[in-house]
Amino acid sequence: MSGSVGVFADYRGSVTDRADVVVVGSGPCGAVAAYELAMAGKDVVLVEEGPPFTPADFELDGPISMARTMREGGLRFTTGFVMPTMQAIALGGGSLVNSAICGRCPEFRLQEWAEAADLDHTSRRELEPHYDAIAEFLGIAPTPDDVQGPRNLLFRNGCKSLGWSSEPCARNVVGCRGSGECFTGCRARAKQSMDISYVPAAIRAGARVYTSVQVQRVLGSGRRVTGIEGRLVAPFTGAPGAAVRIEAKAVVLAAGVLATPLLLQRSGNLANASKQVGENVQFHPGTSVMGVFPDAVDAVFGATQGYQCLQFLRDGFKLETLWAPPSVLAVRMPGVGLGFKRKLVDMQRAAIWDAIASCQRSLGSVRERGRSQQPAVRWRFHPEDARILGRAVWALTQLFFAAGAERVLPGVAGLPDEMHSLDEARVLEQRPARAGDLVVASTHVFGSTRMHGDPSRGVVDEDCKTHDLDNLYVVDTGVFPMSPAVNPMFTGMALARRGALALAGRV
Amino acid sequence: MLPAVFVALLYALGASLFLWALARALLGYGTRDASLSQLSAREAAFLGAAADAVFPPGGTPALSGAEAGAVRHVDRWLALLTRRNRVLIRLLVVFFEHVTLLIPAPGRGGRRRFSSLSLPQRIALLEDWEHSPLRVRRIVFASLRTILTSSYFASPAVLRELGLAPLAIESPVVAADLLYPRVGQPRASIRWTAEDLVRPVPRTPLDARGPLHPDYRDPHAAVTLAEDRA
Repeated sequence: MSGSVGVFADYRGSVTDRADVVVVGSGPCGAVAAYELAMAGKDVVLVEEGPPFTPADFELDGPISMARTMREGGLRFTTGFVMPTMQAIALGGGSLVNSAICGRCPEFRLQEWAEAADLDHTSRRELEPHYDAIAEFLGIAPTPDDVQGPRNLLFRNGCKSLGWSSEPCARNVVGCRGSGECFTGCRARAKQSMDISYVPAAIRAGARVYTSVQVQRVLGSGRRVTGIEGRLVAPFTGAPGAAVRIEAKAVVLAAGVLATPLLLQRSGNLANASKQVGENVQFHPGTSVMGVFPDAVDAVFGATQGYQCLQFLRDGFKLETLWAPPSVLAVRMPGVGLGFKRKLVDMQRAAIWDAIASCQRSLGSVRERGRSQQPAVRWRFHPEDARILGRAVWALTQLFFAAGAERVLPGVAGLPDEMHSLDEARVLEQRPARAGDLVVASTHVFGSTRMHGDPSRGVVDEDCKTHDLDNLYVVDTGVFPMSPAVNPMFTGMALARRGALALAGRV
Repeated sequence: MLPAVFVALLYALGASLFLWALARALLGYGTRDASLSQLSAREAAFLGAAADAVFPPGGTPALSGAEAGAVRHVDRWLALLTRRNRVLIRLLVVFFEHVTLLIPAPGRGGRRRFSSLSLPQRIALLEDWEHSPLRVRRIVFASLRTILTSSYFASPAVLRELGLAPLAIESPVVAADLLYPRVGQPRASIRWTAEDLVRPVPRTPLDARGPLHPDYRDPHAAVTLAEDRA
């Protein structure tokens, strides 16, 4: 049995269909769920608001690429504390434009989840079979040395000389060529993003995929949902088209942490007896530090994020290497005028490493912004959490000097733009960072439909089924009760797989 | 009698200020570049002046912000944004163009609009915003500089000079390519077949000194190469 895929240019009038299960969202979690349900013999429809991208559609120019692949052109930001946050709109969701890091949630953090959210079977041992199955399917493996490139290997050297642990990032990449282009789409087709891995596999197993479909409402009454309705939307412009209606015995929402709550709210405040839909929004705020080395770092070669240091996970942060389109990285350089131009010349000798922080005191909420179908995300950066990120900046600075950098650009307001020695940089250790002094951004979001054993305190149970409805599931990272300490994609997929298998046995 | 004169004077002063502000906002920008799809003459004038302040002529890279095509790039980028974001970007541009009314640039004539300031004045004004103790001012500055920097880096010549131009990569055909057309095209336009799946394509690590992506190669070098071959 083989399914099908619909694209905007091929639709003629309204779209109606009927299935056992309709999955909303083709990002990592939705794609895994659709595949597992189709493999279990269920009749599956997968809908995605974005279009499929081919290599010919990839743009190497950072802002143009973001305008085409990110919601709101990549210009989405939180209010309360202003922070850019990016979510993709494409077949394959964020996997098309992320750096493919697949980290398993550490045991200590899952224990914290269990205690905080009354969870009985979400330990590492219980998630391991799901991690393993996904790892095997996607070929997840540590980044090999031959594509690390100097900027990743310098990170490893720095960690070694400080006695810190480090490891190559495990990624869903097969045959990486070290282009460093993960964020604009992998021209080498090495990254196993969902559009070229799980989605085609789901189609081979019989799933029907409709792209360019904006879901506006989940249909249903009482304790049961009956499908979804929405409309076609043109790629990039979002111009509305004909109506879409899919009837189904069960609905799986994987629209994303900032979109799923809006869909529930628009659908008559579904699954919200706990009043937790759209609450508890957490991020991994990230900040980057730049170091300039005496010799060239071969900017155009090396895995996007090839190395990481997990030594400080219990302290609340993770360190990793980073590469992005030069237009995006250059923004990190301070200054204007000829002095700024001179600094740009240093980019050939520069590496950028970043830190992401688990910020469990920094909470937010998400609501629809007017009738725009876009989220208004309100979020506060707690001062204690900002200090965690400040400590991470200090750690990265130490790492750069240990790796042989001749100067470091920590990017902290109120401090010198450049620091030339560890002694000079000690001010980073001595002065606690304030939230407003740091340049932060985040793509990792969780918690807006959190999992909780107590139906009065959470939206879904441990199988990702909503407490309030018998056949409505949420499987994106919104179900995390709190930060997973590491990159969230892999854990989201593992939970989605478990939820999909549970649903397959019920529908 | 006196209060009436006073009120009349106040009205006259208010009207003069309004007319001055209106003239300052609208006049003296020349004609709009017809090749720009989004930007007005004022917006283009501001962006050109700001791009040259962030990336002045001289030094390395050799191109200034305006020479690198920053204005045209912003125009292309704006066309891809939602209406709301276009409005926000336009507000940012108008704000910076006229902010010198409130916060003058250093030096003589510092209250002229941004695009009329001298280059040193424009640079000094931007530096002032960059190092402001107020986060909101730093965010506004960072937003502007991000737009200009991104646009400057869209220039292949700039990237080549900095050694940051992307390398040539041949994309192998994968099974998914038989499913999806290019964005906006119907599925009937897919030209790949199962035979393309086995076409050999290099899968070894890239050579950092290998050939550049065709869009980023030096056109003059290409001509020379073609001439050599001829």
